[in-house]
Amino acid sequence: MKAGPSQEEIRRHNLGTLLRHVHIGGSMSRAVLAERMGLNRSTILGLVSELGSAGLVREELPRDTGRAGRPSLVVRPESDRVYVLAFDVGVDRLAAARIGLGGVFLDRREIPMAPGRRDAGKVAEILAGSALDMVGTAQHGTYCVGVAAAVRGMVRRPDGLVRAAPHLGWEDEEFGEDLMRRLGLGLPVSVANEASLGALAEHLRGAGTGCQDLVYLHGDIGIGGGVITGGQLLTGDCGYGGEIGHMVVNPRDGRPCGCGAHGCLEAEAGERALLETARRDPTATGREAVRAVVEAADRGDITARAALRDVGDWLGIGVANLVNVLNPRTVVFGGTLREVFLGSAAQIRSRINRLALTSSRENLRLRVGELGDDAVLIGAAELAFSEILVGPLETLARAGA
Amino acid sequence: MTATPNANPNPKPDPILRLRGIDKSFGAVQVLHDVSFDVHPGEVTALVGDNGAGKSTLVKCIGGIHSFDGGEYWFEGEQVQVHSPREAAALGVEIVYQDLALCDNLDIVQNMFLGREKRRGLVLDDATMEEMAAQTLDGLSVRTVTSIRQQVSSLSGGQRQTVAIAKAVLWNNKVVVLDEPTAALGVAQTAQVLELVRRLADNGLAVVLISHNMNDVFAVSDRIAALYLGRMAAQVSTSNVTYSQVVELITSGRSGDLGLAHTNGATA
Ligand SMILES: Nc1ncnc2c1ncn2[C@@H]1O[C@H](COP(=O)(O)OP(=O)(O)OP(=O)(O)O)[C@@H](O)[C@H]1O
Ligand SMILES: [Mg+2]
Ligand SMILES: [Zn+2]
Repeated sequence: MKAGPSQEEIRRHNLGTLLRHVHIGGSMSRAVLAERMGLNRSTILGLVSELGSAGLVREELPRDTGRAGRPSLVVRPESDRVYVLAFDVGVDRLAAARIGLGGVFLDRREIPMAPGRRDAGKVAEILAGSALDMVGTAQHGTYCVGVAAAVRGMVRRPDGLVRAAPHLGWEDEEFGEDLMRRLGLGLPVSVANEASLGALAEHLRGAGTGCQDLVYLHGDIGIGGGVITGGQLLTGDCGYGGEIGHMVVNPRDGRPCGCGAHGCLEAEAGERALLETARRDPTATGREAVRAVVEAADRGDITARAALRDVGDWLGIGVANLVNVLNPRTVVFGGTLREVFLGSAAQIRSRINRLALTSSRENLRLRVGELGDDAVLIGAAELAFSEILVGPLETLARAGA
Repeated sequence: MTATPNANPNPKPDPILRLRGIDKSFGAVQVLHDVSFDVHPGEVTALVGDNGAGKSTLVKCIGGIHSFDGGEYWFEGEQVQVHSPREAAALGVEIVYQDLALCDNLDIVQNMFLGREKRRGLVLDDATMEEMAAQTLDGLSVRTVTSIRQQVSSLSGGQRQTVAIAKAVLWNNKVVVLDEPTAALGVAQTAQVLELVRRLADNGLAVVLISHNMNDVFAVSDRIAALYLGRMAAQVSTSNVTYSQVVELITSGRSGDLGLAHTNGATA
């Protein structure tokens, strides 16, 4: 029989939980923390002072003074002192950011890149270069406590091996290992699928805040998916769960998909399908091209309207399936699917209403992502923060503080 | 995982605003016939209908600009009399009209407080007003305006709508009615305003959104109320209807089992 948790374990858990509250929720008073954590005030006081002397939080007067009465101190995460590095290997850009505790962007670099095959080593080299540059400009006495990268592809759990990233031409790349070596910070680099991280970000800080069951659809070159169920990211057995873009919606006479199958959601409702159906210039791709179709439809362009109706139909069919299987509270459309959703919401919703089970859909909300193009980067940062939010003092000690 | 405050899986709040049997005529022309309308807190209710169906008239009755000829106005479970915008405001009902009333030569803060301090019997200093305006915009996650001391004439259409909406929520209103807030906007600005609309409802307000754009309606609303020739054809949950059903309700007053029994007679 396993013994109950020790005092030490409980304390460690409470420290992590408190830090998570201010990291996600922003500054809050000790009274609020006591209420949210269900602990008495003297315990909270002890935890706050321990985190305070470690330099992870600070107590200060709230910003909005001028109210009647004596304002109570708020506990604030030390965003300038403790940070992570987050990377996003995008379709047409590489992004790196230094993000402070509390989710504050402290610094960021973006390197435009023509879409197409890319050597994984070269990508790691560029990202590591940008990151070390940012680390170099960080003030003395600040600590990097985690590193994570988002990749559009299949990432194995738990080791982060990139099994396949078709748009880059990657297969079985030890991208995280490579990045870790090049950074030389002594920190492991977590790697995860971009839409899973987008889901995490919207769940923690965006359109799905407070929602424990959420599906995130991310459109760019393809359609990525991330699923939060019961507050947890769905990973599946080896980490490949949530590939919504390859949910087959039209197998009989569907369009060929990059994965080799026919009629995947990505093939029917992805950027390429939309732009082809709308008969747009085949060389124009990406966000601007998608937005142009939505704008044309808004002005009454019949071809653009038909294309959006078509794509909306397939998206609705896909989401109806997800609603029946997962019963999400919220479905979030991110990346270029944000524009697509705004241009075809009537179609999408109608399809869902016709196809999904009544009880599964009655509280369903369809939303656009709130974090815009930063969702993936923010999700990567949250992944990188996960360690310090479990064992704050240990993680900080390992970071050399 | 700890329970979150909004963990209630199935919120079905009572209507905060409830109209029953509203009639309204302008001279010899009856514009609203026996209209019933419910508005729920935490929800976006889309009010749709063809040009001239009576949407703006209904909203002006709600806002106390027009008094109606017959019918009942219920607010938070009690029957009330609303004969002026002041009385509507006192209840916590705010209308953002189709033809936005913002003053071009004033800045954002001045606009947000225009005519309001006096109405509420308050005298506020500049710093307090500025702070309240900033907090309101902040609370709505409005990041599109660069300075709250910017003149309204220099704002884009979407930003103007944003300011008008922020003005409506500044005074802790409970019901906010938006008459075609996205009509004059491009896609990107529409997205901003719709997000704001959704956020208001998520913060617990009852929001009424008038729109001719079915994508907007299906993107943000929880319920759809369709007016047809001055009659309420149907009020339905957005998760239960299709685009073509709503279009039918708008254009012919009925769709299958939904809507008016006879398009020229009494409601079903
Ligand atoms: N002050 C008024 N005096 C006389 N008739 C009016 C007045 N206001 C509105 N009407 C008439 O009432 C009817 C309903 O108008 P209302 O403005 O409510 O329509 P609406 O549904 O808002 O249309 P739209 O979509 O074009 O804004 C119309 O026939 C209109 O001409
Ligand atoms: Mg009108
Ligand atoms: Zn596929």
